[in-house]
Amino acid sequence: MTLDWSIVWLNKGLLAEGALMTIVLTVLTMGLAVPLGIVLAFMRISKWRGLALLSQCFVELFRNIPLILIVYWSFYVIPILVPVQFSAFTTGLIALVLCVSAYNAETFRAGINSVRAGQTNAGLALGMSQFQVMKEIILPQAARRVLPILATTWVSLFKDTSLVSVIAVGELSHVALQIRSQSFRVLEMLTAMAVIYWMMGYPQAKLSDWIRKKFEVKE
Amino acid sequence: MTDTSPIRRAATQRPLLEYKHVRKSFGAFTALDDISLTIYPGEVVCFIGPSGSGKSTLLRGTNGLDPFDGGEVIFDGLVLPRKPSDVRKVRRRMGMVFQNFELFPHKTALQNVAIGPITVLNTDKAEAEQQAMILLAKVGLSDKADNYPVNLSGGQQQRVAIARALAMQPEVLLFDEPTSALDPETIGEVLSVMKALADEGRTMVIVTHEMSFARRVADWVIVFERGKVLEEGPPEQIFEAPTVERTKEFLGHLGWA
Repeated sequence: MTLDWSIVWLNKGLLAEGALMTIVLTVLTMGLAVPLGIVLAFMRISKWRGLALLSQCFVELFRNIPLILIVYWSFYVIPILVPVQFSAFTTGLIALVLCVSAYNAETFRAGINSVRAGQTNAGLALGMSQFQVMKEIILPQAARRVLPILATTWVSLFKDTSLVSVIAVGELSHVALQIRSQSFRVLEMLTAMAVIYWMMGYPQAKLSDWIRKKFEVKE
Repeated sequence: MTDTSPIRRAATQRPLLEYKHVRKSFGAFTALDDISLTIYPGEVVCFIGPSGSGKSTLLRGTNGLDPFDGGEVIFDGLVLPRKPSDVRKVRRRMGMVFQNFELFPHKTALQNVAIGPITVLNTDKAEAEQQAMILLAKVGLSDKADNYPVNLSGGQQQRVAIARALAMQPEVLLFDEPTSALDPETIGEVLSVMKALADEGRTMVIVTHEMSFARRVADWVIVFERGKVLEEGPPEQIFEAPTVERTKEFLGHLGWA
Protein backbone atom coordinates (compact mmCIF):
# COMPACT_ATOMS: atom_id res chain seq x y z
CA MET A 1 0.00 0.00 0.00
CA THR A 2 1.42 3.34 -1.02
CA LEU A 3 0.59 6.48 0.83
CA ASP A 4 0.26 9.77 -0.99
CA TRP A 5 0.38 12.64 1.50
CA SER A 6 0.26 15.26 -1.23
CA ILE A 7 -3.52 14.99 -1.14
CA VAL A 8 -3.44 16.78 2.22
CA TRP A 9 -1.28 19.61 0.93
CA LEU A 10 -3.36 19.95 -2.26
CA ASN A 11 -6.45 20.54 -0.17
CA LYS A 12 -4.85 22.77 2.44
CA GLY A 13 -7.16 25.67 1.63
CA LEU A 14 -10.31 23.61 2.04
CA LEU A 15 -9.03 22.05 5.24
CA ALA A 16 -8.15 25.47 6.65
CA GLU A 17 -11.66 26.69 5.87
CA GLY A 18 -13.08 23.60 7.59
CA ALA A 19 -10.88 24.17 10.64
CA LEU A 20 -11.99 27.79 10.78
CA MET A 21 -15.62 26.69 10.58
CA THR A 22 -15.02 24.27 13.49
CA ILE A 23 -13.67 27.13 15.59
CA VAL A 24 -16.54 29.44 14.60
CA LEU A 25 -19.07 26.75 15.54
CA THR A 26 -17.40 26.17 18.92
CA VAL A 27 -17.24 29.86 19.77
CA LEU A 28 -20.81 30.61 18.66
CA THR A 29 -22.20 27.55 20.45
CA MET A 30 -20.51 28.44 23.73
CA GLY A 31 -21.38 32.12 23.29
CA LEU A 32 -25.05 31.19 23.14
CA ALA A 33 -25.04 28.20 25.51
CA VAL A 34 -23.48 30.10 28.44
CA PRO A 35 -26.20 32.78 28.74
CA LEU A 36 -28.88 30.21 27.96
CA GLY A 37 -27.42 27.88 30.61
CA ILE A 38 -27.48 30.71 33.17
CA VAL A 39 -31.13 31.46 32.36
CA LEU A 40 -32.02 27.76 32.64
CA ALA A 41 -30.14 27.46 35.96
CA PHE A 42 -31.98 30.45 37.46
CA MET A 43 -35.29 29.08 36.18
CA ARG A 44 -34.47 25.78 37.87
CA ILE A 45 -33.81 27.36 41.29
CA SER A 46 -36.65 29.88 41.03
CA LYS A 47 -39.57 29.64 43.42
CA TRP A 48 -42.05 29.49 40.54
CA ARG A 49 -42.62 25.78 40.14
CA GLY A 50 -43.69 26.06 36.50
CA LEU A 51 -40.44 27.71 35.44
CA ALA A 52 -38.39 25.22 37.43
CA LEU A 53 -40.21 22.30 35.86
CA LEU A 54 -39.84 23.70 32.35
CA SER A 55 -36.10 24.10 32.85
CA GLN A 56 -35.79 20.64 34.36
CA CYS A 57 -37.61 19.04 31.40
CA PHE A 58 -35.40 20.85 28.90
CA VAL A 59 -32.22 19.89 30.69
CA GLU A 60 -33.15 16.26 31.26
CA LEU A 61 -34.29 15.86 27.66
CA PHE A 62 -31.24 17.24 25.89
CA ARG A 63 -28.70 15.98 28.40
CA ASN A 64 -29.81 12.40 28.03
CA ILE A 65 -30.04 11.82 24.32
CA PRO A 66 -27.01 11.45 22.04
CA LEU A 67 -25.87 14.65 20.36
CA ILE A 68 -25.91 13.04 16.93
CA LEU A 69 -29.59 12.29 17.40
CA ILE A 70 -30.26 15.92 18.32
CA VAL A 71 -28.42 16.92 15.14
CA TYR A 72 -30.54 14.63 12.92
CA TRP A 73 -33.68 15.57 14.83
CA SER A 74 -33.01 19.30 14.31
CA PHE A 75 -32.38 18.68 10.63
CA TYR A 76 -35.65 16.84 10.02
CA VAL A 77 -37.96 18.24 12.70
CA ILE A 78 -37.22 21.98 12.81
CA PRO A 79 -38.41 22.49 9.19
CA ILE A 80 -41.72 20.88 10.16
CA LEU A 81 -42.12 22.91 13.38
CA VAL A 82 -41.22 26.35 12.03
CA PRO A 83 -41.95 27.73 8.57
CA VAL A 84 -38.47 29.23 8.24
CA GLN A 85 -35.85 27.40 6.20
CA PHE A 86 -32.60 27.28 8.17
CA SER A 87 -29.23 26.60 6.58
CA ALA A 88 -27.35 23.44 7.55
CA PHE A 89 -24.99 25.64 9.57
CA THR A 90 -27.79 27.24 11.58
CA THR A 91 -29.45 23.87 12.11
CA GLY A 92 -26.17 22.39 13.35
CA LEU A 93 -25.62 25.38 15.61
CA ILE A 94 -29.11 25.01 17.13
CA ALA A 95 -28.49 21.32 17.84
CA LEU A 96 -25.17 22.05 19.55
CA VAL A 97 -26.65 24.92 21.58
CA LEU A 98 -29.57 22.74 22.75
CA CYS A 99 -27.19 20.09 24.02
CA VAL A 100 -24.47 22.31 25.51
CA SER A 101 -26.88 24.72 27.21
CA ALA A 102 -28.45 21.73 28.98
CA TYR A 103 -24.99 20.74 30.25
CA ASN A 104 -24.16 24.32 31.20
CA ALA A 105 -27.44 24.71 33.09
CA GLU A 106 -26.47 21.78 35.30
CA THR A 107 -22.96 23.18 35.73
CA PHE A 108 -24.26 26.57 36.85
CA ARG A 109 -26.89 25.04 39.11
CA ALA A 110 -24.29 22.80 40.78
CA GLY A 111 -21.97 25.80 41.14
CA ILE A 112 -24.64 27.86 42.89
CA ASN A 113 -25.69 24.94 45.10
CA SER A 114 -22.09 24.18 46.06
CA VAL A 115 -21.86 27.40 48.08
CA ARG A 116 -22.90 26.38 51.58
CA ALA A 117 -26.07 27.71 53.16
CA GLY A 118 -24.05 29.36 55.94
CA GLN A 119 -22.72 31.85 53.40
CA THR A 120 -26.26 32.90 52.49
CA ASN A 121 -27.11 33.22 56.18
CA ALA A 122 -24.03 35.37 56.80
CA GLY A 123 -25.10 37.72 54.00
CA LEU A 124 -28.73 37.83 55.13
CA ALA A 125 -27.66 38.45 58.73
CA LEU A 126 -25.89 41.62 57.57
CA GLY A 127 -29.22 42.78 56.17
CA MET A 128 -28.57 41.97 52.52
CA SER A 129 -31.46 41.11 50.19
CA GLN A 130 -31.60 37.71 48.46
CA PHE A 131 -30.52 39.47 45.27
CA GLN A 132 -27.50 41.09 46.97
CA VAL A 133 -26.53 37.78 48.54
CA MET A 134 -26.67 36.14 45.09
CA LYS A 135 -24.66 38.91 43.44
CA GLU A 136 -22.07 39.62 46.14
CA ILE A 137 -21.65 36.28 47.88
CA ILE A 138 -22.93 33.30 45.90
CA LEU A 139 -22.16 34.06 42.24
CA PRO A 140 -18.52 35.13 42.72
CA GLN A 141 -17.86 31.90 44.61
CA ALA A 142 -19.88 29.79 42.18
CA ALA A 143 -18.03 31.31 39.19
CA ARG A 144 -14.68 30.03 40.45
CA ARG A 145 -16.06 26.52 40.66
CA VAL A 146 -17.93 26.71 37.36
CA LEU A 147 -15.10 28.03 35.20
CA PRO A 148 -12.97 24.84 35.19
CA ILE A 149 -16.03 22.75 34.29
CA LEU A 150 -16.95 25.14 31.48
CA ALA A 151 -13.40 24.81 30.19
CA THR A 152 -13.77 21.02 30.09
CA THR A 153 -17.13 21.36 28.33
CA TRP A 154 -15.45 23.66 25.82
CA VAL A 155 -12.82 21.07 24.96
CA SER A 156 -15.51 18.37 24.51
CA LEU A 157 -17.63 20.71 22.43
CA PHE A 158 -14.69 21.51 20.16
CA LYS A 159 -14.45 17.83 19.26
CA ASP A 160 -18.21 17.23 19.22
CA THR A 161 -18.73 19.86 16.51
CA SER A 162 -17.54 17.07 14.18
CA LEU A 163 -20.97 15.47 14.60
CA VAL A 164 -22.72 18.17 12.61
CA SER A 165 -20.81 16.90 9.55
CA VAL A 166 -23.68 14.39 9.16
CA ILE A 167 -25.95 17.20 7.99
CA ALA A 168 -23.26 18.58 5.65
CA VAL A 169 -22.09 21.56 7.69
CA GLY A 170 -18.72 22.43 6.13
CA GLU A 171 -16.56 22.11 9.21
CA LEU A 172 -13.28 20.22 9.41
CA SER A 173 -14.71 16.69 9.58
CA HIS A 174 -17.13 17.21 6.74
CA VAL A 175 -14.47 18.76 4.51
CA ALA A 176 -11.93 16.03 5.28
CA LEU A 177 -14.42 13.22 4.79
CA GLN A 178 -15.55 14.74 1.50
CA ILE A 179 -11.97 14.82 0.24
CA ARG A 180 -11.55 11.23 1.40
CA SER A 181 -14.54 9.96 -0.54
CA GLN A 182 -13.54 11.83 -3.68
CA SER A 183 -9.88 10.80 -3.64
CA PHE A 184 -10.11 7.42 -1.86
CA ARG A 185 -7.09 8.54 0.22
CA VAL A 186 -8.72 7.19 3.38
CA LEU A 187 -5.73 6.71 5.65
CA GLU A 188 -4.08 9.99 4.65
CA MET A 189 -7.19 12.07 5.19
CA LEU A 190 -8.15 10.45 8.49
CA THR A 191 -4.59 10.91 9.77
CA ALA A 192 -4.55 14.52 8.62
CA MET A 193 -7.87 15.08 10.37
CA ALA A 194 -6.53 13.60 13.59
CA VAL A 195 -3.38 15.72 13.42
CA ILE A 196 -5.31 18.94 12.78
CA TYR A 197 -7.83 18.25 15.56
CA TRP A 198 -5.03 17.35 17.94
CA MET A 199 -2.98 20.43 17.15
CA MET A 200 -5.96 22.65 17.77
CA GLY A 201 -7.33 20.69 20.74
CA TYR A 202 -4.11 20.19 22.71
CA PRO A 203 -3.53 23.90 23.54
CA GLN A 204 -7.18 24.18 24.57
CA ALA A 205 -6.87 21.18 26.87
CA LYS A 206 -3.71 22.68 28.40
CA LEU A 207 -5.48 26.00 28.87
CA SER A 208 -8.34 24.15 30.52
CA ASP A 209 -5.88 22.48 32.93
CA TRP A 210 -4.36 25.86 33.73
CA ILE A 211 -7.77 27.35 34.47
CA ARG A 212 -8.55 24.39 36.71
CA LYS A 213 -5.38 24.97 38.72
CA LYS A 214 -5.68 28.74 38.81
CA PHE A 215 -9.28 28.82 40.02
CA GLU A 216 -9.12 25.92 42.43
CA VAL A 217 -11.23 26.85 45.44
CA LYS A 218 -9.30 26.81 48.69
CA GLU A 219 -11.25 26.93 51.89
CA MET B 1 -40.16 32.15 84.88
CA THR B 2 -40.61 35.84 85.66
CA ASP B 3 -37.30 37.60 85.34
CA THR B 4 -37.98 40.72 87.34
CA SER B 5 -36.02 39.57 90.36
CA PRO B 6 -34.35 42.57 92.03
CA ILE B 7 -30.85 41.35 91.27
CA ARG B 8 -31.35 41.95 87.53
CA ARG B 9 -29.87 45.46 87.41
CA ALA B 10 -30.85 46.31 83.82
CA ALA B 11 -34.47 45.36 84.40
CA THR B 12 -35.55 48.92 85.11
CA GLN B 13 -35.12 49.81 81.41
CA ARG B 14 -37.36 49.08 78.49
CA PRO B 15 -36.46 45.61 77.10
CA LEU B 16 -34.38 45.56 73.91
CA LEU B 17 -35.42 42.06 72.99
CA GLU B 18 -38.37 39.99 74.11
CA TYR B 19 -39.38 36.47 73.21
CA LYS B 20 -43.05 35.76 73.76
CA HIS B 21 -44.36 32.19 73.75
CA VAL B 22 -41.92 31.14 71.08
CA ARG B 23 -42.38 27.65 69.62
CA LYS B 24 -40.53 25.67 67.02
CA SER B 25 -40.53 22.02 65.98
CA PHE B 26 -38.49 19.99 63.56
CA GLY B 27 -40.90 17.25 62.54
CA ALA B 28 -41.95 15.46 65.72
CA PHE B 29 -39.11 17.04 67.72
CA THR B 30 -40.07 20.09 69.76
CA ALA B 31 -37.04 22.39 69.70
CA LEU B 32 -38.62 25.33 71.50
CA ASP B 33 -41.59 24.86 73.76
CA ASP B 34 -43.32 28.11 74.72
CA ILE B 35 -40.25 30.20 75.53
CA SER B 36 -40.71 33.68 76.97
CA LEU B 37 -37.63 35.71 77.85
CA THR B 38 -36.50 39.31 78.13
CA ILE B 39 -33.16 40.91 77.32
CA TYR B 40 -32.40 44.45 78.45
CA PRO B 41 -30.09 47.01 76.84
CA GLY B 42 -26.44 46.73 77.85
CA GLU B 43 -26.81 43.21 79.18
CA VAL B 44 -24.60 40.26 78.40
CA VAL B 45 -26.89 37.24 78.43
CA CYS B 46 -25.53 33.73 78.07
CA PHE B 47 -27.66 30.81 76.90
CA ILE B 48 -26.31 27.55 78.31
CA GLY B 49 -27.55 24.00 78.38
CA PRO B 50 -26.97 20.59 76.82
CA SER B 51 -26.78 20.10 73.04
CA GLY B 52 -30.20 20.02 71.45
CA SER B 53 -31.76 22.01 74.27
CA GLY B 54 -32.94 24.76 71.93
CA LYS B 55 -30.53 27.57 72.79
CA SER B 56 -29.06 27.88 69.27
CA THR B 57 -32.49 27.53 67.68
CA LEU B 58 -33.73 30.43 69.79
CA LEU B 59 -30.74 32.56 68.82
CA ARG B 60 -31.11 31.81 65.09
CA GLY B 61 -34.78 32.72 65.21
CA THR B 62 -33.99 36.08 66.79
CA ASN B 63 -33.15 37.72 63.45
CA GLY B 64 -35.57 35.57 61.47
CA LEU B 65 -32.93 33.47 59.68
CA ASP B 66 -34.70 30.40 60.94
CA PRO B 67 -38.21 31.68 61.76
CA PHE B 68 -40.22 30.37 64.68
CA ASP B 69 -43.44 28.39 64.20
CA GLY B 70 -45.34 30.34 66.83
CA GLY B 71 -45.02 33.22 69.26
CA GLU B 72 -43.12 36.38 68.50
CA VAL B 73 -39.87 38.27 68.90
CA ILE B 74 -40.15 41.90 69.91
CA PHE B 75 -37.11 43.99 69.12
CA ASP B 76 -36.96 47.55 70.37
CA GLY B 77 -40.71 47.60 70.89
CA LEU B 78 -41.68 46.21 67.47
CA VAL B 79 -42.69 42.68 66.52
CA LEU B 80 -40.15 41.09 64.17
CA PRO B 81 -41.81 41.17 60.74
CA ARG B 82 -42.15 38.08 58.56
CA LYS B 83 -42.00 39.79 55.17
CA PRO B 84 -38.46 39.45 53.73
CA SER B 85 -38.13 43.14 52.78
CA ASP B 86 -39.20 44.21 56.29
CA VAL B 87 -37.20 41.71 58.31
CA ARG B 88 -34.07 42.88 56.47
CA LYS B 89 -34.39 46.32 58.03
CA VAL B 90 -34.41 44.74 61.48
CA ARG B 91 -31.60 42.28 60.74
CA ARG B 92 -29.14 45.03 59.92
CA ARG B 93 -29.60 46.28 63.50
CA MET B 94 -28.57 42.89 64.91
CA GLY B 95 -25.04 41.57 64.45
CA MET B 96 -24.58 37.84 64.18
CA VAL B 97 -21.48 35.73 64.75
CA PHE B 98 -21.61 32.11 63.59
CA GLN B 99 -20.01 28.96 64.93
CA ASN B 100 -18.23 28.35 61.60
CA PHE B 101 -17.32 32.04 61.09
CA GLU B 102 -18.82 32.09 57.57
CA LEU B 103 -16.39 34.70 56.34
CA PHE B 104 -16.68 35.28 52.60
CA PRO B 105 -13.72 33.32 51.16
CA HIS B 106 -13.47 35.42 48.00
CA LYS B 107 -12.94 38.62 49.96
CA THR B 108 -10.05 39.84 52.09
CA ALA B 109 -10.46 40.44 55.82
CA LEU B 110 -10.93 44.15 55.12
CA GLN B 111 -13.50 43.53 52.36
CA ASN B 112 -15.37 41.10 54.62
CA VAL B 113 -15.76 43.83 57.22
CA ALA B 114 -16.61 46.57 54.72
CA ILE B 115 -19.12 44.68 52.56
CA GLY B 116 -22.09 45.08 54.94
CA PRO B 117 -22.03 48.89 55.06
CA ILE B 118 -21.20 49.11 51.32
CA THR B 119 -24.05 46.90 50.09
CA VAL B 120 -26.68 47.41 52.79
CA LEU B 121 -26.12 50.99 53.97
CA ASN B 122 -24.73 52.34 50.66
CA THR B 123 -21.71 53.66 52.52
CA ASP B 124 -18.98 55.08 50.30
CA LYS B 125 -16.34 52.40 49.68
CA ALA B 126 -13.38 54.43 50.93
CA GLU B 127 -15.25 55.40 54.08
CA ALA B 128 -16.43 51.83 54.72
CA GLU B 129 -12.87 50.54 54.34
CA GLN B 130 -11.57 53.20 56.68
CA GLN B 131 -14.13 52.13 59.27
CA ALA B 132 -13.23 48.50 58.60
CA MET B 133 -9.57 49.22 59.36
CA ILE B 134 -10.56 50.74 62.70
CA LEU B 135 -12.64 47.67 63.53
CA LEU B 136 -9.84 45.30 62.50
CA ALA B 137 -7.52 47.24 64.82
CA LYS B 138 -10.09 46.83 67.57
CA VAL B 139 -10.01 43.03 67.21
CA GLY B 140 -6.20 43.14 66.94
CA LEU B 141 -5.91 42.26 63.24
CA SER B 142 -4.73 45.46 61.51
CA ASP B 143 -1.83 43.57 60.00
CA LYS B 144 -4.14 40.94 58.45
CA ALA B 145 -6.41 43.35 56.55
CA ASP B 146 -5.31 42.09 53.13
CA ASN B 147 -5.33 38.40 54.02
CA TYR B 148 -7.97 36.10 52.63
CA PRO B 149 -9.80 33.96 55.21
CA VAL B 150 -7.97 30.83 54.03
CA ASN B 151 -4.75 32.40 55.31
CA LEU B 152 -6.11 33.16 58.77
CA SER B 153 -6.32 30.89 61.81
CA GLY B 154 -9.74 29.97 63.18
CA GLY B 155 -9.40 32.48 66.01
CA GLN B 156 -8.39 35.22 63.58
CA GLN B 157 -11.28 34.37 61.26
CA GLN B 158 -13.73 34.60 64.13
CA ARG B 159 -12.31 37.95 65.18
CA VAL B 160 -12.77 39.23 61.60
CA ALA B 161 -16.34 37.89 61.74
CA ILE B 162 -16.92 39.89 64.93
CA ALA B 163 -15.54 43.01 63.23
CA ARG B 164 -17.86 42.30 60.26
CA ALA B 165 -20.85 42.20 62.62
CA LEU B 166 -19.71 45.40 64.38
CA ALA B 167 -19.40 47.23 61.06
CA MET B 168 -23.20 47.50 60.86
CA GLN B 169 -23.21 49.25 64.27
CA PRO B 170 -25.74 46.77 65.60
CA GLU B 171 -27.80 47.35 68.71
CA VAL B 172 -27.40 43.76 69.78
CA LEU B 173 -24.76 41.13 69.01
CA LEU B 174 -25.87 37.50 68.66
CA PHE B 175 -23.16 34.87 69.12
CA ASP B 176 -23.96 31.29 68.11
CA GLU B 177 -21.36 29.12 69.87
CA PRO B 178 -18.56 31.42 68.72
CA THR B 179 -15.73 29.28 70.07
CA SER B 180 -17.06 25.76 69.46
CA ALA B 181 -15.23 25.31 66.13
CA LEU B 182 -11.92 26.71 67.40
CA ASP B 183 -8.68 25.05 68.37
CA PRO B 184 -8.25 25.33 72.14
CA GLU B 185 -5.26 27.67 71.80
CA THR B 186 -7.25 30.26 69.84
CA ILE B 187 -10.37 30.29 72.01
CA GLY B 188 -8.82 32.76 74.45
CA GLU B 189 -8.21 35.48 71.85
CA VAL B 190 -11.85 35.39 70.73
CA LEU B 191 -13.16 35.41 74.29
CA SER B 192 -11.01 38.38 75.22
CA VAL B 193 -12.37 40.36 72.24
CA MET B 194 -15.87 39.47 73.42
CA LYS B 195 -15.03 40.47 76.99
CA ALA B 196 -13.82 43.87 75.72
CA LEU B 197 -17.11 44.35 73.87
CA ALA B 198 -19.04 43.44 77.00
CA ASP B 199 -17.03 45.99 78.97
CA GLU B 200 -18.09 48.67 76.45
CA GLY B 201 -21.65 48.04 77.54
CA ARG B 202 -22.83 46.34 74.36
CA THR B 203 -25.91 44.18 74.45
CA MET B 204 -24.81 40.63 73.72
CA VAL B 205 -26.65 37.32 73.56
CA ILE B 206 -24.22 34.43 73.62
CA VAL B 207 -24.90 30.74 73.14
CA THR B 208 -21.88 29.10 74.74
CA HIS B 209 -20.36 26.05 76.33
CA GLU B 210 -17.58 28.17 77.90
CA MET B 211 -18.86 28.10 81.45
CA SER B 212 -16.01 30.05 83.04
CA PHE B 213 -16.53 32.80 80.44
CA ALA B 214 -20.27 32.88 81.18
CA ARG B 215 -19.53 32.99 84.89
CA ARG B 216 -17.07 35.87 84.50
CA VAL B 217 -18.76 38.02 81.82
CA ALA B 218 -22.51 37.38 81.84
CA ASP B 219 -24.99 39.64 83.59
CA TRP B 220 -27.68 37.05 83.21
CA VAL B 221 -27.57 33.33 82.49
CA ILE B 222 -30.40 31.28 81.03
CA VAL B 223 -30.28 27.50 81.28
CA PHE B 224 -32.12 25.53 78.59
CA GLU B 225 -33.22 21.95 78.53
CA ARG B 226 -35.45 20.16 76.02
CA GLY B 227 -36.78 23.35 74.49
CA LYS B 228 -37.68 24.91 77.83
CA VAL B 229 -36.02 27.36 80.18
CA LEU B 230 -34.84 25.36 83.16
CA GLU B 231 -33.67 28.29 85.21
CA GLU B 232 -32.47 31.85 84.77
CA GLY B 233 -30.60 34.19 87.01
CA PRO B 234 -27.38 36.07 87.62
CA PRO B 235 -24.24 33.95 87.12
CA GLU B 236 -23.54 33.81 90.87
CA GLN B 237 -26.86 32.08 91.37
CA ILE B 238 -26.66 29.73 88.38
CA PHE B 239 -23.09 28.63 88.98
CA GLU B 240 -22.86 28.77 92.77
CA ALA B 241 -26.36 28.11 94.03
CA PRO B 242 -28.65 26.82 91.28
CA THR B 243 -32.22 26.47 92.46
CA VAL B 244 -33.06 23.65 90.06
CA GLU B 245 -31.64 20.19 90.53
CA ARG B 246 -31.19 19.63 86.76
CA THR B 247 -28.98 22.73 86.51
CA LYS B 248 -26.71 21.22 89.15
CA GLU B 249 -26.57 17.96 87.23
CA PHE B 250 -25.81 19.72 83.93
CA LEU B 251 -23.03 21.80 85.45
CA GLY B 252 -21.79 18.74 87.29
CA HIS B 253 -21.40 16.87 83.98
CA LEU B 254 -19.16 19.69 82.77
CA GLY B 255 -16.99 19.31 85.84
CA TRP B 256 -18.30 22.54 87.30
CA ALA B 257 -18.81 22.75 91.06
